[in-house]
Amino acid sequence: MDKPAASKVINMERIREIVMECGGHKWALIPVIQKIQNEFGYIPPEAIHVIAIGLKIFPSQVQGVISFYAQFYTKPRGRQVITVCRGTACHVRGGESLLEMLENGLGIKEGETTADMEYSLETVACIGVCALAPNVVIGKEVYGKMDTQKIEQLLKKGEA
Amino acid sequence: MQEFTVTLNGREVAAEPGMTILELARREGVHIPTICHEPHLAPAGGCPSISSCRVCIVEEERSGNLITSCGAFVTPGMVINTASQRVLERRRTIVELMLASHPDSCMVCLKGNRCQLRQVAADMGIGLVRFQRIPLMSTITDANPFIKRNLSKCILCAKCIRACQELVIEGAVDYYRRGFVARPATAGDTPLEESECTFCGTCVAMCPTGALMEAEPLYRGTAGTSVPTTCPFCGCGCTVRLKVKEGRVVRVIPNNDDPVTRGTLCVKGSYGFDFIQSRDRLTTPLIKVDDHFEAASWEEAFNVITAEFKRIKSRYGSNSLAVFGSSKCTNEENYLLQRFARCVLGTNNIDNGSRLYGTPGLTSCDPASGFFGATNSLTAMEKADVILVVGADPTVSAPLVGYTIKRAVRCMDAKLVLIDPRETRLSMFAETWLRPKVGTDLILLNGMAKAIIDEGLHDAEISEETIDFKAFAKSLSAYTAAFVEKATGVPYTEIVKAAREYATSGKAAIVYGHGITQHVNGTDAIKALTNLALLTGSRSKGTCIYPLQKENNAQGACDMGALPDFLPGYQQVSDLKSRRTFEDYWGIIPAAAGLTAFEMIKGAKAGTIKGMYIVGENPAASFPNSKFVSEALSSLNFLVVQDLFMTRTAKLSNVVLPAASFAEKEGTFTSFDGRVNWLTKAVQPPGQSIPDWDIVIKLAARMGHAMFYSSPREVREEIGKLVPLYKGIGYGSPEEPLDQVRAKGGFRSPLVYRKRPDRIPSFYLVHMTATPDRTNGEYPFLLLTGSNLYHFAGGTRTSRAPRLRKYSLDAFVDIGEADAEKLEVSEGDRLRIASSTSEIVATARISDTLPERVVFMPFALACNPVSQLLDIILDLERKTPIVKCVSVKIERIGSHGQAGSKQSN
Ligand code: SF4
Ligand code: SF4
Ligand code: SF4
Ligand code: FES
Ligand code: FES
Repeated sequence: MDKPAASKVINMERIREIVMECGGHKWALIPVIQKIQNEFGYIPPEAIHVIAIGLKIFPSQVQGVISFYAQFYTKPRGRQVITVCRGTACHVRGGESLLEMLENGLGIKEGETTADMEYSLETVACIGVCALAPNVVIGKEVYGKMDTQKIEQLLKKGEA
Repeated sequence: MQEFTVTLNGREVAAEPGMTILELARREGVHIPTICHEPHLAPAGGCPSISSCRVCIVEEERSGNLITSCGAFVTPGMVINTASQRVLERRRTIVELMLASHPDSCMVCLKGNRCQLRQVAADMGIGLVRFQRIPLMSTITDANPFIKRNLSKCILCAKCIRACQELVIEGAVDYYRRGFVARPATAGDTPLEESECTFCGTCVAMCPTGALMEAEPLYRGTAGTSVPTTCPFCGCGCTVRLKVKEGRVVRVIPNNDDPVTRGTLCVKGSYGFDFIQSRDRLTTPLIKVDDHFEAASWEEAFNVITAEFKRIKSRYGSNSLAVFGSSKCTNEENYLLQRFARCVLGTNNIDNGSRLYGTPGLTSCDPASGFFGATNSLTAMEKADVILVVGADPTVSAPLVGYTIKRAVRCMDAKLVLIDPRETRLSMFAETWLRPKVGTDLILLNGMAKAIIDEGLHDAEISEETIDFKAFAKSLSAYTAAFVEKATGVPYTEIVKAAREYATSGKAAIVYGHGITQHVNGTDAIKALTNLALLTGSRSKGTCIYPLQKENNAQGACDMGALPDFLPGYQQVSDLKSRRTFEDYWGIIPAAAGLTAFEMIKGAKAGTIKGMYIVGENPAASFPNSKFVSEALSSLNFLVVQDLFMTRTAKLSNVVLPAASFAEKEGTFTSFDGRVNWLTKAVQPPGQSIPDWDIVIKLAARMGHAMFYSSPREVREEIGKLVPLYKGIGYGSPEEPLDQVRAKGGFRSPLVYRKRPDRIPSFYLVHMTATPDRTNGEYPFLLLTGSNLYHFAGGTRTSRAPRLRKYSLDAFVDIGEADAEKLEVSEGDRLRIASSTSEIVATARISDTLPERVVFMPFALACNPVSQLLDIILDLERKTPIVKCVSVKIERIGSHGQAGSKQSN
């Protein structure tokens, strides 16, 4: 597998520690992967075996859980995560073209990360503030009533 | 709780608590279609079904709910309707939705009429689907010769996932992703051959659709008949069904009715049967003329054999003849064969192939204590609270036992204490994994015993219930922490931890294999295990001991007296009374114990044995020091070999007799834990070949000794009368319902329980006498040998099963990282491995867990006669050879892909 240029060597020792901290019981799987994601920003595929051994479950089971939840990532994400809402309200107000524009602007597709590890582009199905549609979330901040100009500005400013 | 009544389709019926609606309906003869439900996947007390397909819905009229009958328990007063208009309509929609994402390939689907989805749809009269079709995509391509996945046909019933995680416990697959794109996948979504999958075939047999299919099948259609019989490979005794089409066995599936195997098999059982139809099968008797074989009639062959055996007998005496029976042949055949040796040839020189692996009757502690095999059933092993595994990798050598142990750990919360220098698949399941230096098990076990006694964890009443406890405790005084730690290389704290786990966890089971029996001090190590069993045995109400058997009928061959010192049922041949019992039926039996297999070979070389009759064994390939064995056999005056194939041993013979395979005859095999399983004839033997039992009876008649049995059944009836362990076995046939057989006083598997006899058990005082490590400056490495999952014994049969042959033929040797670095060996390099007897070439595999100066190589690769490297050094008591390890030197002779000198069988 090609590793993204900016990815660092994974500190497997730390992953082992996290697994042990959570008690080494199989019910600790979700807390363990949450913790790893919090620290590493994603769950390195190499971690799957370590988690499986530590919790006495099979790697396929760990992968099954990680891939089931949208909140878990198996690839490193950019410093900034841009999430475009694809819910119905945002869609009818042009969410799709915002996505297209971001894809073109950043040179990546949905679900990908720029080579310099600056930006990741993601989508979500409704964040619950439909009144402000179309919505884009950058980091933890929600930007409502977005349009192509605003996006362009944000991109230029380097804020996003 | 009490029985109660519920209403089922308008009828009041009695129900018991804990019963699912489906179970009730089935008992009452009411059909409810199911797809995802599989009784073997419902562990006792666990969830009866995960109810993912929803095809089995029924209506509960009081609440008006539609519920899945496979996962819902009956409750008092329920009013259940299994076929109301509402149920039928909803069920139809459910199936139609499944079909909407299913490809239109039923006509060419290999699952054919066995597809449950298609059956259910057809039963409901569903033809065209009214929904918009959104077919699923399948992108994965598997390259292995066993299993093909086409996940576009997957209906996400999870049976394969559960089979893999809850029955065989490999965990190769689980759900991957969610929603519409979810599917069962391996870790990393790789092809199966890059995953933990062992190709056991269990999931393929359970998959209700064509999503999981047999690769490279012999036949694509639906087989005509299905014949229940028993797997001919290892000693686990899995029952199978042979699918027969036009006189050929085209497929093997697990026998779903077997409560012990529960729908599982291993790769050999599932894909190893093609040898039956191999073109190499012997089809006619052969007589050697000068240096080649000429086809002969049975008549001619029998004439030559009779004349030669008679000539040798009158010239050199009966004891110059010897019979080598077979741990692959049936109980009936072994029974006849030992009668043939004793009463026709007049010698007790009879032994069987299990000698190589530590003959069961003799590996199970000492015969005087009455243990002649496992002391309990495999089912009991699964219920143990702690399992001690020593010198065995059952995940490879006895897969069904491997499944059982893993299930006990994963599903029943048992603790596993593993003693093995090498990492195996079991290591990850172990609570404690002790890695002693090779061959120091005896010291380790004594050390554990001392730790138990020191901590006062042994049974309180031990002095009254056993003999020699005090002396035993005293004899352990030398096993101090420092001594044990130094000798075994295992930290003492680990040993104490293992001792505590073993002694305090409740009901214990001890499983051991050839890692014990094939070492120097093997017999003593077995005794040390018995000591451990005695120490806490009464507290846990009897610790069960399970010696694993390599071959399908190793247990049975010994039970049937294919042994030089025992008559059937382990009755001493030297004992007049025992002999009398049989003499009334067969005539005179010689009193002096005969020779074991290796003594026969040595006798042949020395000229004291002149004639041999070898049935279903291939010592020239499977015994250590094959060169010596071949020379010995060639120097015989007369050798008869009876087999399926022209084996290396057969080539050395004067007369070759073609025998029928397991699929072509009737009889019984006894598994290592004493289940007597039936063989049913599925196809005709090729050419003129006939079953071994028939050959022995005919030959005996020629030699002037009539045996009045017209079928294996009559032999079995005699066994049922004369062999106490098998009392009652003669009654009934495999087709007869079990209760009828029982009513006649007979039984069918599970059967032969080997209970501890009524006398007070005694401790053994055993100590290490010889050092196992025979490495030296010239041969600095210790080569460990072991089993191979894909090939069996000498590989005679498995190498003729094309799929097994394809998958793993190359000889490999595992070498530790540090050693590899020193020798500048990298993965895939060709290595020359030499012992003092011979040398062979193999491909290197680097292992990060092997200890230094230890390398590992499995037996049973057709192109890799590891046995050549070994020498015949016998364990004195059991006369079993020490073939578990040998000292070798290693040399790198070529890099990856560069073939060294290729060896062939
Ligand atoms: S063949 Fe056996 S090991 Fe492989 S996925 Fe199926 S059940 Fe699991
Ligand atoms: S592959 Fe077969 S057994 Fe597995 S989930 Fe799909 S349909 Fe069920
Ligand atoms: S475990 Fe043994 S008996 Fe069972 S299928 Fe495999 S080889 Fe045959
Ligand atoms: S649809 Fe975008 S926030 Fe609800
Ligand atoms: S069979 Fe009951 S839900 Fe599938």
